[in-house]
Amino acid sequence: MYRIDRRLLEHFDVILMLLIVLTCTMALFNLYSASMPSPGGGLAPWMKQSIIMVGCFILFFVIISFDYKLLHILNYPFYFIIIASLLLADAIGATAGGAQRWIDLGLFNFQPSEPAKLMMVITLASYYARKEVSGGYSFFDILPPLGLMAVPFILILIQPDLGTSLMLIIIFASITMFVKLRWSAYVILLSLGSGAGIFAWLHLLKPYQKKRVETFLNPEHDLANQGYQILQSKIAVGSGGLTGSGYLNGTQGHLHFLPERHTDFAYSVLAEEWGFIGSFIFLLIYFGMLFWGLYVGMTSKDRFGTLLAFGVVTLIFWQAVINLFMIMGFLPVVGIPLPLVSYGGSSLITTMMGLAILMNVRIRRFNPITGGNH
Amino acid sequence: MKFSLKLPTAKQDQFEERDDVSLNILQKRLIGVGVIIVFFLVVILLRFYFLQVTKGDDYKRRAYNNRIRISTVAPPRGHILDRMGREIVTNRPSFNVALVREDSRDIDGTLKKLGPVLGMSEEELWGRVREASDTPLYLPVTLKEDIDWQTLAYLEYNNREFSGVRIEVQPVRVYPYGDLAANIIGYLGSISKKELENADRSIYSGGDLIGKRGLERLREADLRGEKGKRYTEVNARGFEQQMLDGIEPMPGRDLQLTIDVDLQQIAENYMLAGEKSGAVVVLEVNTGRLLAAVSTPTIHIEDFVGGISRRKWKALMDNEHKPLMNKVVQGTYPPGSVYKMVTALAGLARGVVNENTSLFCPGSYRFGNRTYRCWKHSGHGMVNLCQALGQSCDVFFYQVGQWVGVDGLAKYATELGFGQQTGIEMEYEKSGLVPTKAWKQEVKKRKWQEGETLSVAIGQGFNLVTPIQIANMTATIANGGTLYRPQLVEKVIDPEGKVVEQFKPEVKSEIKDFSHFFQLIRQGMEEVIQGKRGTARQLRIEGLPFAGKTGTAQVVKVAQYRGLRDEDIPYKYRDHGWFTCYAPADKPEISVTVLVEHGLHGSSGAGPVARAVLKHYFAKRLKEGTLSAQE
Repeated sequence: MYRIDRRLLEHFDVILMLLIVLTCTMALFNLYSASMPSPGGGLAPWMKQSIIMVGCFILFFVIISFDYKLLHILNYPFYFIIIASLLLADAIGATAGGAQRWIDLGLFNFQPSEPAKLMMVITLASYYARKEVSGGYSFFDILPPLGLMAVPFILILIQPDLGTSLMLIIIFASITMFVKLRWSAYVILLSLGSGAGIFAWLHLLKPYQKKRVETFLNPEHDLANQGYQILQSKIAVGSGGLTGSGYLNGTQGHLHFLPERHTDFAYSVLAEEWGFIGSFIFLLIYFGMLFWGLYVGMTSKDRFGTLLAFGVVTLIFWQAVINLFMIMGFLPVVGIPLPLVSYGGSSLITTMMGLAILMNVRIRRFNPITGGNH
Repeated sequence: MKFSLKLPTAKQDQFEERDDVSLNILQKRLIGVGVIIVFFLVVILLRFYFLQVTKGDDYKRRAYNNRIRISTVAPPRGHILDRMGREIVTNRPSFNVALVREDSRDIDGTLKKLGPVLGMSEEELWGRVREASDTPLYLPVTLKEDIDWQTLAYLEYNNREFSGVRIEVQPVRVYPYGDLAANIIGYLGSISKKELENADRSIYSGGDLIGKRGLERLREADLRGEKGKRYTEVNARGFEQQMLDGIEPMPGRDLQLTIDVDLQQIAENYMLAGEKSGAVVVLEVNTGRLLAAVSTPTIHIEDFVGGISRRKWKALMDNEHKPLMNKVVQGTYPPGSVYKMVTALAGLARGVVNENTSLFCPGSYRFGNRTYRCWKHSGHGMVNLCQALGQSCDVFFYQVGQWVGVDGLAKYATELGFGQQTGIEMEYEKSGLVPTKAWKQEVKKRKWQEGETLSVAIGQGFNLVTPIQIANMTATIANGGTLYRPQLVEKVIDPEGKVVEQFKPEVKSEIKDFSHFFQLIRQGMEEVIQGKRGTARQLRIEGLPFAGKTGTAQVVKVAQYRGLRDEDIPYKYRDHGWFTCYAPADKPEISVTVLVEHGLHGSSGAGPVARAVLKHYFAKRLKEGTLSAQE
């Protein structure tokens, strides 16, 4: 067996851990309120989420005990497992909400598109860490990661889950831009992207997906369906006022005015019950965790660590921004959860794995050659 | 751990050193990333600040509106009672199915499911919803009124399947006496868009019941009461969670009428049993209280509860007996011989006749180059005023009329209340018509022919009167010259039992210094009943001397029907039969006026109805014999 390096314990980041635990605790408390009154039948959402959460923390410590460099290798089986799961979900997955997105695992429905996002982060980080080009990457340099991204992208798109598949593009774009592209590559990518976008609008998008985009452009138009949910969310958030209606006292969620109140719109419940002050504190902690993730990236000992840290922060950040924008009425309902806050096992496990990788990079920030810290 | 470190460390030495600079560049870039994240955080916080603090109160109100439904509770409408306090109209609860569009997330689906349950087509239900398209979405739209217990139980039990559907309890009218006095009471209906436009929106809203006809309409303000309010918390599917607060509805005020249900019923039954269309009016001669006012055929008032069907409405409109018309005030007819009292009064007042005047009736009267016949072709011989009234001699009144002139007749007709509304609390009262020379010039653009005066004098010609006018005239003659405004409402009683309005006799005008003339006319009217040759002597009631006058109003002057037997004349060309009377003869209390449309003769068609009313009214005293003792 291996012995745990003493320096690993010394470098364990208490602040990062504290931010994660705080966020998870608040999220669970909120989920308890958001699942009231319980839909009945089986475990209440908050209970399920708590059980998964415990499992996630065990997984967290398992992951940080291995060196993140192992991901260079683990990435390959991981990638193929995800692709296989996506194919499985597409083929035989249980039908939920008119989309084939799930594989029933008993305790929760496993949604392979969630870990696919993390898998994308690891794959890209691994690729860009190993292939370093001076003066920025050319279009041909990024063709392999583009191809690696395209496969899960298409598999998720046909589920159909437009939101998650677009998340893959956003992650790809963020990381690729972060490692710097040549101008020529930008031009080619942009023209290809817009061409694909127009083609998709004309031939690939399902009517309900088009409707979502149209609703976004003209939110008051379709009050009964899409706009209704957003409006109800705004009412819930706004009615919280400065100090909120008090924990468990929110009316909009409990009386079902708020749709998807424990999943996509879980944060609306928090905002209603805790008001602006509660929102403010929670967002400071939540974004504090992201800033700390950037700090992890800045202090990592190598390129792979930095890219992994950046990737994980990107993954959480964009989902949070999209979800919060949706809740606040800036975006249509796209089905992107707020990581850690929204109910959902797949998303929770994925996010916790990402945070574990972050911690992993953090505790191995010492340089084994020079022995110094960054 | 060992395994994991091996593979990367093999390469590590090669690029770890040269990587140091580029790693630094990459890590510096994270500062820029941090700035971007800060930017988004600021945007998000500002937006939350805007939603929660700047617009917080606005959204709080909307959240409140989201969950709080203010529903109105219809008040029980005031009851309508007869003079003895017997309930002619009361209420019972009706369970209505209503849809709150705002609460129904799938109106189409709900209506689809609801159709078979309510026995209505989807199109009908949509029609109801569309009718209310311009009302706010939180207001319920009534889909069906007055569902039965089984439907109610089904909907309540399966309420989760019908999102946004609510059961509302609304008091509706019940009529313990059936169609009795339907012409007076009128009916309710859903408030129309037009009515709603003019209505006080704090009182009325769409779907409310409002008085459409009769007292229900005229006394709407008294009867309607005040709506209650109920604040309930509902969830997004429109299911009520809990009741928070409420204001009890205030019941409407009760109307106690001057009507006597028994008299009304007897008169109505007599008319209906003989399939007589027409009107009966019973008045207290010394107060103007209306004891009965019948118009036949009657409407089926129950048909109007919950809205009358188009088919039934059309049938009512097309009926040649005009059941929708309240003939008491809306029917105008030639008065025929009952007008002779007017001619008599005019003659007496102008001094052209007095109690000693006797005129000879040979059976006809020659005027100009025309012969005016008396109804009795063999003639009445020498008759005075009393006999002329008693035997209804046309020739006598031709001459009186001719001496007084048409404008003279009109003057006294007007004093007796003709040509104007009596002012009774009934809708669309007609004024009738009292012809004058000026009227003819203006309306007909022709000069008055003297011969026409003769027709007017016996109640033919241009004269038009309503049954209530004849009744009021009879009362005025009976009481010696006081013209009352006939009234219908004895009391208005508020829900606590306090009397808010009390009947007071209302004198319209008094005809002074004519008491002697009225006495002479009364003698003549008594002769009609009590005289050996009285035209209505067969109506005599043992122990109750009374006075009256028959009338036969010609509908058409068509020679071809002359000499035909009555039943051979087509219905619509038959004469109208009038009978008006007061009783007792010496100390009048009530007047009874009966009109039978196309009833041929006053004494045979209309008389028995009046006789039945009188017999009932005086039944107790007749039994005790107290009336005949006075004689």
